[in-house]
Amino acid sequence: MIDSPARLLLVDDEPQIVRALTPALTAAGYSVETAATGESALTQMAGNPCDVMILDLGLPDMDGKDVIRRMREWSEAPIIVLSARDLESEKIIALDLGADDFVNKPVGVGELLARVRASLRGRERRFTAQPSFKAGDLEINFPARRVLVQGDEVRLTPREYDLLRTLARHAGRVVTHKQVIASVWGADAQVDAQFVRVLVAQLRQKLELEPSAPRIVLTEPGVGYRLKADDDAQA
Amino acid sequence: MALSTGLAEVFYLVTQVTRVSAIFLAGVLITAFWLGSGPAYFAAGLAFIAYNYYLMEPRDSLSIGGLEAALTLAMFFAVAMLTGSLTGRVRDQAEKAQARARTTQALFDATRDFSASPDENFIRQRLAHHLARAGRGDALVLTDTSTFASVEGLEASPELLHQARALGAEDWLNGVATHIVDGWSVRPLHADGATLGVAAWRPLAGGQHAADEQTLLEILADAGASAEARARLAAAMSNAEARARTEELRNALLSSISHDLRTPLAAIMASASSLQEFGDDFDVATRRDLTATIQEESERMNAFVANLLNMTKLEAGALTVQHTRFDIKEVIERTLRRQQLVQKRTILQATPGEDLEASGDPLLFEQALGNIVENAIRYSPAGSTVRIVCERDANDAVVRVTDEGPGVAPSDMARIFDKFYRSPSVSGKAGTGLGLSIARGFMEAMGGDVTVVNRPRPERGLAVTLKIGLAP
Repeated sequence: MIDSPARLLLVDDEPQIVRALTPALTAAGYSVETAATGESALTQMAGNPCDVMILDLGLPDMDGKDVIRRMREWSEAPIIVLSARDLESEKIIALDLGADDFVNKPVGVGELLARVRASLRGRERRFTAQPSFKAGDLEINFPARRVLVQGDEVRLTPREYDLLRTLARHAGRVVTHKQVIASVWGADAQVDAQFVRVLVAQLRQKLELEPSAPRIVLTEPGVGYRLKADDDAQA
Repeated sequence: MALSTGLAEVFYLVTQVTRVSAIFLAGVLITAFWLGSGPAYFAAGLAFIAYNYYLMEPRDSLSIGGLEAALTLAMFFAVAMLTGSLTGRVRDQAEKAQARARTTQALFDATRDFSASPDENFIRQRLAHHLARAGRGDALVLTDTSTFASVEGLEASPELLHQARALGAEDWLNGVATHIVDGWSVRPLHADGATLGVAAWRPLAGGQHAADEQTLLEILADAGASAEARARLAAAMSNAEARARTEELRNALLSSISHDLRTPLAAIMASASSLQEFGDDFDVATRRDLTATIQEESERMNAFVANLLNMTKLEAGALTVQHTRFDIKEVIERTLRRQQLVQKRTILQATPGEDLEASGDPLLFEQALGNIVENAIRYSPAGSTVRIVCERDANDAVVRVTDEGPGVAPSDMARIFDKFYRSPSVSGKAGTGLGLSIARGFMEAMGGDVTVVNRPRPERGLAVTLKIGLAP
């Protein structure tokens, strides 16, 4: 990252948002490009792909969800949805279409930067096999299927382990109910979201110091779950 | 038949040919064709007697001379009967086909009529008409509250009303109840498990309906009932659609308000948190830019909240209007300054006019003008010009705001002042649809008004005119 800074494409039609976010993103070491319409965002990504796209869902020329759909036809670049819409269903559709994460407007730059870092890490993780995962008190050894909390081994059922592995692979990013179901029960499984909630509760019983006030497996209300990544502490 | 006999007699006298049986057969044939199979058999019998009496030897007697004569006579009778029967059957069938065609036509006319309107009362009225026509008499359609008659002035007697309204679903299954009162036949109008009313009909005085006529009337009544049920369903459906549209509008409004409040808030939050996290790393220009964003966006939010509050006040009739003298040019300049601060994509231009003093509420006027100008900027392309012209028109001051945007489709023109109305063609743009309706509310509260026209070609865009009375 030092020799060539990661490039971000900020897609928002409100000039004041672009104006307010650009300095902080630049100061954090990213090279920032902007687009005010979905069409120009797609054109820019096709011409000279950026590493992460920060995308507002409400664009003047097309629905942000269509931007995601068309991007995912050929690109794996992380997309972070930035939206004032507080409709859970919108976010879930965006995430299931292939967006990596979302942040609600209004958002502090600290949180946005943490999401950008998590997305970039997730992209690296996709290309390099990581035998272990470590974040805070939690440690996972993938080849041995061993889970440690504060150095003590925790015994998980196969499903609990699958859930934790899925969350860890997306550490710092949101994972929807649908994604959890697909990776724990299988892509075609007809499983109610209630099963996911029960499984998450079981996992929290084993990992969290205080399962009712989780600090490792966090809930994104109405959308899914997020495993706390190492550098989320200050966010 | 007498004609045939006479004809045969004359023929015989003239030609002395005895083979005239064909003439009698023709008579039977014609009888069958005109009058049907029953009269044809009768004619065949007559022909048999006449043939025997007049033409067979010995003539002028009914006695039969010899086996050959008897055989001829028997043959003649058989052929006459057969001819009569066949021809009569053809005629009967033609008659039946005609009756069927009449029935079909009556049903066709009625159903076409019923489908012409989704109005239940219209269908009831037409049903009465068609029942009367098909039954060649009078007809009534009765509901719990009203009566529809085939003829003006025809009314149901209290007894008929009482009897008819006592009918229920089980009576529908039982078919027609005839002659309940004064020769009326009644049938409940029944569809989808509900009784919608009662149809009643009677033939003209002294007449009686044949069984097939009664069946036709019954079918007509049922067709009317289903048409009524369909109309009712269609009405319910359009009601549901209207409710869904209202719901859609409310959602659009909520998402629009949420967007208009959150966008400035997001800019403020991003700027403030940027300053907090990276304040020391930023150069002076960046820091100033971020604080300017915070200030401008706060103002924008304030204006939006003010609009929402004003709308509520207008709706509640709680708006207090001052009447003071104020300088219109000053207000225009203030509006320009404020809009120019926020909007950088569009060029604003005010044409200096004479100094005009209006009478009204300067704050309300400024807000109305601000809304109009903001709209003009919002819907016109970046880099285009929004012009503000002020002039005198008799005892009024006129302020005209013109833009170079797409204008408003004629179909939307009537609704652009409606609260929360946003033209479908601008759905991609942010906005609540409050600006124009508030502007009009304010201007009317001050005794002025707002008008909107598309600029005539070759110019494009919209011209919005604010009118307010001049100070005396």
